[in-house]
Amino acid sequence: MSVIAVYNIKGGVGKTATAVNLSYLSAGGGDKTLLCDLDPQGSSTFYFRVRPAKKFNVSKLLKGGKAVDGNIRGTDYPGLDLLPADFSFRNMDIALDDLKKSRHRIGKVLKPLRQEYDHIFLDCPPNITLLSENIFHAADHILVPLIPTTLSHLALRQLFRFLDEIGQKRSKVLIFFSMVEKRKKMHWEMMRLLIKKPGVLPKVIPFLADIEKMGLYRQPVTAAFPRSLAATAYGELWTEIEKHLDRG
Amino acid sequence: MIPEPKEKIWLLPESAAMNAIVDDIGQDFTIEIEPQPAVTITWFDTFDWRLYRRRKVLLRQNKDSWYLLRRPSGEEIVSLQGNGLVGCSFSSDFPPGRLRTVLEPILGVRRLLPLVTLDSSGVLIRFLNQDEKVVAFLFFHEQRMRKADVVFRTVKLRGIRGYDKDFKAVSKSIRRHGIVDSVSPFYALEEGVRLTGRCPLDYSSEFSITLKPEMSARQATLAIFRRLLEAMQRNTPGIIDDLDSEFLHDFRVALRRTRSGLALIKRVLPPEITETFKKEFAELGRVTGAARDLDVYLLYEKDYKSRLPASLRGGVEAFFADIRSRREIAQKELVRSLRSPEYREMISRWHDYLDSDDGGEASENSELPIKDLAGKIILRSYRRILNDGRAIKPSSSDKKMHRLRIHCKKLRYSLEFFASLFPPADIRTVINQLKKLQNNLGAFNDLSVQQEMLHQYLARLRPGSGRNQQLASAIGGLLTSLHHEQQQVREAFFSKFRRFARSENTGLYKKLFG
Repeated sequence: MSVIAVYNIKGGVGKTATAVNLSYLSAGGGDKTLLCDLDPQGSSTFYFRVRPAKKFNVSKLLKGGKAVDGNIRGTDYPGLDLLPADFSFRNMDIALDDLKKSRHRIGKVLKPLRQEYDHIFLDCPPNITLLSENIFHAADHILVPLIPTTLSHLALRQLFRFLDEIGQKRSKVLIFFSMVEKRKKMHWEMMRLLIKKPGVLPKVIPFLADIEKMGLYRQPVTAAFPRSLAATAYGELWTEIEKHLDRG
Repeated sequence: MIPEPKEKIWLLPESAAMNAIVDDIGQDFTIEIEPQPAVTITWFDTFDWRLYRRRKVLLRQNKDSWYLLRRPSGEEIVSLQGNGLVGCSFSSDFPPGRLRTVLEPILGVRRLLPLVTLDSSGVLIRFLNQDEKVVAFLFFHEQRMRKADVVFRTVKLRGIRGYDKDFKAVSKSIRRHGIVDSVSPFYALEEGVRLTGRCPLDYSSEFSITLKPEMSARQATLAIFRRLLEAMQRNTPGIIDDLDSEFLHDFRVALRRTRSGLALIKRVLPPEITETFKKEFAELGRVTGAARDLDVYLLYEKDYKSRLPASLRGGVEAFFADIRSRREIAQKELVRSLRSPEYREMISRWHDYLDSDDGGEASENSELPIKDLAGKIILRSYRRILNDGRAIKPSSSDKKMHRLRIHCKKLRYSLEFFASLFPPADIRTVINQLKKLQNNLGAFNDLSVQQEMLHQYLARLRPGSGRNQQLASAIGGLLTSLHHEQQQVREAFFSKFRRFARSENTGLYKKLFG
């Protein structure tokens, strides 16, 4: 059983596409899988065509137990469930701040779900906040999609510093290159610089139109076009990640 | 607990048309229709339903996929796809992996037998809401049974978590169309098996019979023998087809029980019947013994390899190759005897006798209530074990241990014959106590038999060839290891026997059977 947080401080790096496709592949491999959409934008929720119940909101989420159980939705795919996001999740930090043991709340909410699922994916909003700290405590692995640019490198350093500060092991972090463009020289140079670092996975996800268009057809690209380049890339990435999960 | 996705299956009546049902439900949803590829499904289990008993159903789909499902939910436990899986019969035929790991301890040495084959075709209907999100699945299935002119038509509704309202709506429409007979996910398989003349759990190697205390000794005895004969007859085809070693084993257990019954239940059947069949069945025991002994030796192969250093394993392989070829011959002989007119004639004489209304001439004990006689038989066996067991000293010969083992077996059989006449909890206690002693004696005997077999084999080996030299060293190594283990089992005997013979246990026997 493992909880995998898909996270980056920066937005627009392919986090949601990663969470949606990897959770689909995980379920397809026979593992019971839950994807929690923690991003108030609710992109994962949108991709799976799920509408959260009107009464679902951030305080229900943080309450956990039945309040969460009753809001989990089956997706169109066997073995894959989704906990949808609600717009009220934008106030997550304020809500967390009001609670006791505010740093471990998400972990507590996930605890009973760990019994039921083989893998839980967290689609996280981009920033470093109290919610991020919660997520880092709760997750067994932090999967970071990284566009190979200088700024991304900087963001990665910030993440490591933050983990050190809150006493979390850097070894939780798994990094892969996302939205890689072959023709950009800088991408190649950054990748060469980073590929040997610990936790950097040897599989990359290229910048592909099929992935960008997921918003149109509202399905994981791995489900809609299982033989596409994009689906193959995610398949290889998931196989690589699974090796690390076995060890963890 | 997360609720499993809701699922319901109904029998589809002849009159129900899929299109009408779908059109009707379709008014509230967007509908996608997808014909499902035709598949052939075969249900497998062992002769004694080892999987079904553990709430499991193993299916082979087409030639390359296996599914192990939970009963009665139909939920998948593990599946396996790949080439070369069509002929898997024993757990060891499956490639290493999850399926094999689950099957191995359950199947043991038993073979998977095909029970029923269905050719299945169907249509999947998806119901989508206004967001184009799937909210329910409906499967129409038509399953045609091979070798029989029967078609099973069912419809299955599968809900999706969080969309209970839609599930209810579809379910209601279905009922409106007169589809109301809900059935299990294994409906077609179970009905199909019934058409072949079998039904789930129709065979178990355990002996069980319900007797009434007021039955006469003769009625009860005949009922017991009838049950045992049935067990022998049911196992015979599997022996002849050489499906797995358990058929012969179960056959011989039923035979031994019969022989013990003839010896233990005295003066109930006419003396000439008892005497004749004691001899007939003793002969049958001899005829079937050779093949069984060789079956047993073959089961030691893995153990022997683990007992020896790698350098001697080549010798072990040569040894078992030899046993296997001897077994082939013994098996052929066995089949010949079981097909012989003499054997058939003997069995039908026994059958006729058991089915005759009066059971022949009355003997001294024929009309006693069975409960009185049962108690006496059990107590007599028990006392015999106490006396013989107490006489065993650390210096006693192996023979004494073996005799005690036989008496324990007889007690066990009589307890099982008459179990239904006594309080179940007490019978369980008594049998469990006895089992512990039997396990010790069984292990001791097992080790003696093996050493004897190896000694005999060694004596027949001609010195000289390199192969035989290797063989002889392997056997020497095994003998040392087995002898050492036997000493340990023997030492453990005394404490096991003390527990068995203590006063509480004796008191319980007196209370129950005195």
